[in-house]
Amino acid sequence: MLRGIFGHPFARFLIKKVIFYAIVTFVALTFVFLIPRLMPGDPVDMMVHPQPGSPWYNDMLILRENMREYFGLNKSLFDQYIAFWGQVFTLNLGVSYPYLYPSSVASIIMARLPYTLMLVIPVLFVSFFLGNWIGAKAAYTGGKLSEAVYFFSVFSNRLPSFWFGMVLVFILAGRLALFPAYGYAAPGMLPSWNFNYVNSLLMHYLLPFITLMIVYLGGWATGMRSMIIHEMDSGYVRYSEQLGFKKSTSMSYAKRNAILPQFTGLNLYFNALIGETAILEMIFGWPGVGRTMFDAVFSLDYPLIFGVFIVILVIVILGNFLIDTLYGFLDPRIRAGGKR
Amino acid sequence: MWELLLNSRKFMIGLSIVVVIILLGVIGPMVTLNPNKMNFGALSQAPDTHFLLGTTQFGEDVFAQLCSSIRNSLMVGAFAGAVGTLIAVFLGALGPYKGGLADDVSSFVTNVVIVFPVLPMLIVLSAVIVERTLFLVGVLIALTSWPWAARSIRSQVLSLKEREFINLARMSGMKDRITVVTEVLPNMLAYIMMVFVLLTGGAIIAEAAISMIGLGPPHALTLGQMLYWAMRQTRLAHWWDSWWWFLSPGIVLTVFLSAVFVMHAGMDEIFNPRLRKM
Repeated sequence: MLRGIFGHPFARFLIKKVIFYAIVTFVALTFVFLIPRLMPGDPVDMMVHPQPGSPWYNDMLILRENMREYFGLNKSLFDQYIAFWGQVFTLNLGVSYPYLYPSSVASIIMARLPYTLMLVIPVLFVSFFLGNWIGAKAAYTGGKLSEAVYFFSVFSNRLPSFWFGMVLVFILAGRLALFPAYGYAAPGMLPSWNFNYVNSLLMHYLLPFITLMIVYLGGWATGMRSMIIHEMDSGYVRYSEQLGFKKSTSMSYAKRNAILPQFTGLNLYFNALIGETAILEMIFGWPGVGRTMFDAVFSLDYPLIFGVFIVILVIVILGNFLIDTLYGFLDPRIRAGGKR
Repeated sequence: MWELLLNSRKFMIGLSIVVVIILLGVIGPMVTLNPNKMNFGALSQAPDTHFLLGTTQFGEDVFAQLCSSIRNSLMVGAFAGAVGTLIAVFLGALGPYKGGLADDVSSFVTNVVIVFPVLPMLIVLSAVIVERTLFLVGVLIALTSWPWAARSIRSQVLSLKEREFINLARMSGMKDRITVVTEVLPNMLAYIMMVFVLLTGGAIIAEAAISMIGLGPPHALTLGQMLYWAMRQTRLAHWWDSWWWFLSPGIVLTVFLSAVFVMHAGMDEIFNPRLRKM
């Protein structure tokens, strides 16, 4: 029974992926642990600067020692490393200090994570379906439309999203006053499920969403257009045309073959999207994890900086694993097995 | 093959735009005013004949700032692009040539780095490194930008490896290392150049993204740094009221990246046998 499950090619594919991502997580978190500890000085040096000659000099030195003990920085590197993994597994990432003292890092992140995911996930999937549809349509129609789609999608994909976001704020929020420029809800509103709040949230949501959407649509459309053009040139499409198939029938075969490589692009786009969303959150004042990290960096809140980074890392790895699983499920060579 | 490039319309259009931007960065800082000179008689002025692109809130000439920023951004980009290309060539060519464990390790390292969330990691690194210089930011970008390039170079080397002249070199007793340097790499020069061009474009945008959120080198003016200050410092009611300040760096970035893409597309048509029109 067990052997039957592990013998299945799809199961083997999944197990390989799980092992791979487990190693990636291990390596990445070890880096996160080591890098700041290999740098000269430690966070406490940056938070407390005792001035020789000041009346509190000795008190400051004692404060520093107490803080080191509180953060566990006076223990040996190995003990710290063990404690670090304990924290990661129990999701006990410490207390934010000084940015949002005394909230726990985990509770801050849990409150802000939904805002990031509600940008990343819809943008990823809507741009994937819409962009691929536009690209396929353009290649299928050909002529001037195809050229125009190519031109615009290359251009939109070259736009630096952080600058394009600024331009949209300038035009749509500043000049035309269609959208609010900053934040996530009108001042004074508390998150709840009433109409006013949801409406206000939506209006604030649209600008960053449109920004990312335009940039990512272009990427999918260019890729799909060239894939379809390549497939339309291949033997089976030409043959089916000679057999007198309707163009839409042969196109549906071409689309199936062209979409598969596009799915491998999901990983790359997802990884890029996580980073770009983090930056856009700062421009639009969107309260996701990216902006939290930014605020933490500027208030030297080390527990929060590393907490956010660990969570982003876990999301990226989980996302990549899910996308790989989806790919394995869609690719008949992996799903049904046989020689690859 | 190289003279084909001169006849490629795409390549030449892209190249001429890139050259114009490089000239702006090289000659611009010599002829414009000091980019940090504050002119208190002309604070936050819109573009006119005296200040081609207006002034910042401190009365600094935006055009002068733009030229210095282009120079610094190009320097970081070219440096990070070159280092990234070297890493990609080394790891990409090593695997197929050594085979076995070396191949497994280099592919594995590439696959691991490919899933790293680069921008958040650069943010963390910038937070723990206090002395950020242009050079250091370049190194950080180079260390994170190479994986896709290494992967595609690896597949190029794998297909080149099976060609007759390589077999001939091997049969005549040439050492692997020498074969790679004298036979394989020269045949991949065009491809490596394409990788360098794309990595440079990517490095410039990565630097702009880091500087845009205030984590770039604090004492050097780059395109991202201009955007950062334009958003944060304004005497006017909103930051977007001084539109001349933030529009120009972004336009330069977009035009540069588009030109790099067009150049790359032109090179691809010539060097990629599948796309070549004979």
